[in-house]
Amino acid sequence: MLNEDRLKLMTGIGLFEKREGKRIFPVYRFFRSDYIGKHMLRSFLGFSFCWVLGTALVVLYKAEDILSTLNLNEIVGYGRMYIGSYLVGLGVYLLITYWVYWKRYEYASRGMKVYVAKLKRLEKRYEMQGKNGQGGRKA
Amino acid sequence: MMALLEFREMLRSFYGKCDAVLIPVIKFVVSVTAFWLLNDSIGYMEKLKSPVVWLALSVVCSFLPYGVISFLAGVVLVAHISSVSLEMALVLSVILVMAAILYYGFQPGDSYLLLLTPILFHFRIPYVIPLLVGLSGGLAGVIPVSLGVFLYYTIQYVKQNAGVLTNDAAVEITQKYVQIIKSMMNNNLMLVMIAAFAAGILVVYLIRTLSVDYAWHIAIVAGAMVQLMVVFVGDFMFDVSVPMLEFLFGVIAAMILAAVYNFFVFAVDYSRTEYVQFEDDDYYYYVKAVPKITVSAPDVKVQKINSTRSRRREF
Repeated sequence: MLNEDRLKLMTGIGLFEKREGKRIFPVYRFFRSDYIGKHMLRSFLGFSFCWVLGTALVVLYKAEDILSTLNLNEIVGYGRMYIGSYLVGLGVYLLITYWVYWKRYEYASRGMKVYVAKLKRLEKRYEMQGKNGQGGRKA
Repeated sequence: MMALLEFREMLRSFYGKCDAVLIPVIKFVVSVTAFWLLNDSIGYMEKLKSPVVWLALSVVCSFLPYGVISFLAGVVLVAHISSVSLEMALVLSVILVMAAILYYGFQPGDSYLLLLTPILFHFRIPYVIPLLVGLSGGLAGVIPVSLGVFLYYTIQYVKQNAGVLTNDAAVEITQKYVQIIKSMMNNNLMLVMIAAFAAGILVVYLIRTLSVDYAWHIAIVAGAMVQLMVVFVGDFMFDVSVPMLEFLFGVIAAMILAAVYNFFVFAVDYSRTEYVQFEDDDYYYYVKAVPKITVSAPDVKVQKINSTRSRRREF
């Protein structure tokens, strides 16, 4: 016989999984430090690659200026500025990455708590109905 | 008003019932419009210009996420531009790849803005974008919207200078790049539009989140005013030419569309606002509860009282 309460609970859990599953389960498979660390590494590689691409554009744009000033001191100055701006840019980008993924992990852990609470409620319903002899789970 | 609310509920229930069909249809319409506009503006690659190709692409796009649709639209854009100028296509590809890695690496889920911004520019109502993004999204929406503005003005540049870009074989390669990057980045009108849209999103977002009555309405008006102001200041300072009549009509249309969006998404009755105050061990709570305006969708059932006469078979 169908049990309306359990059906409602299971439908609620199913809907929750459908709506929030993508934002919770793939994130919660990791420890917080692993999850954030993985994305920070990816950001580091992505930023470095983009920096190289951006540098190529800047070099093309300023090729004539660079070639006309073949002064060693100026080239060293440009090099320092280049590395300095790379480090500052990377630092800012990694901070943003940390903040974004930290928030996502927080969201996922809150969502997981809600999900577990819903499952526990369902389990209790099964146990209660098992005791009352209303068709509990079979072991 | 009641009829409008009933209409809204009907639309909502229709969307709820048919979303499995409606979402692909909406994606198809967006994709067809994007590919058609690209072909119409800068359709320099004959193979991609064929209606069979872009219709087939649009059908495929109906079942893909917006991120992939944007990627395909970007590929088509670069392919068309490469027929005119390989250098321009290369520079644009680099910029798009950088945006894809640096911003879309976070998977923000707002890549539809990249498509919508140039499309709405074409229909002369781009000013609605900052209002809708400010009302529905967050401040990060500034990035895809700015990129959309950049793409629109790049398309315009290629459209207007196709002849120059094709016939510059005599120009040195470094000169070509300098010219292209300068023309892409130093477009004052584009910069003014990006500033106006960013300011619009910021103002709408900040006002919308305030706990004041009619915050959404105030945000729409303030967002439109800020856009007007930034464009006027830009016009004055950088001497950019914006067709004023078209601009004003565009802003008015944007306000109307944003008001329609507000009606469908955030219809509340401020006259019935209630204030509640209570406390627990840790906090005092000052709660402001604003009731939503809701009506139930009319459920019309026709019951026939007169039963139709059934013919008796005569044997």
